Amino acid sequence: MEGAGFRKELVSKLLRLHFRDGGTRVSGDALQLMAELLKIFVTEAAVRGARQAQAEDVALVGVDQLEKVLPQLLLDF
Amino acid sequence: MEEEEEAEEQQRFSYQQRLKAAVHYTVGCLCEEVASDKEIQFSKQTIAAISEMTFRQCENFAKDLEMFARHAKRSTVNTEDVKLLARRSNSLLKYITEKNEEIAQLNLERKAKKKKKSEDRNKNSRESAEDGEVENEN
Repeated sequence: MEGAGFRKELVSKLLRLHFRDGGTRVSGDALQLMAELLKIFVTEAAVRGARQAQAEDVALVGVDQLEKVLPQLLLDF
Repeated sequence: MEEEEEAEEQQRFSYQQRLKAAVHYTVGCLCEEVASDKEIQFSKQTIAAISEMTFRQCENFAKDLEMFARHAKRSTVNTEDVKLLARRSNSLLKYITEKNEEIAQLNLERKAKKKKKSEDRNKNSRESAEDGEVENEN
């Protein structure tokens, strides 16, 4: 698991922010797995945006390119 | 009473802002990796947009995870719940399942290492006691 990624502590805080029940907890393994899932989510958004920019032959991934890949990304998650 | 509620609202808001900033930082790092790999650049607005999306997606994830756990009559979210989250795309589910096994394997190895370390320590302290050396106070 090299490179950048989401820290377990951050993932824990992000999830607990939206739990409705104060007693809900997350196992350590689940936190690690969620960190991976979030990493994929971001990486997919970035890679698909990059592919779109390359297809349009632009050197910068702008929001115009990101908008086009957003629907499918959200459907996949 | 209203002042208290307002102060609470303020606190929650600034807490959320701090979390958003932390997410933004990680998103920036990940985008940088993709940028150098694909030899392309991301605009600041794009990184901000991905960061905002990720933060919002966490709300959906959290609520789903909580409901999955409760459905299974648990109060602790486990990896099965996370795998359910990844059900919409086959390749995603496959990847997450593989990662789960990697993580489980790594944690098993770490536990085995820890156990061996403490066993070695016990073995060493027992041997030095037999040699009649002066033991340090614990």
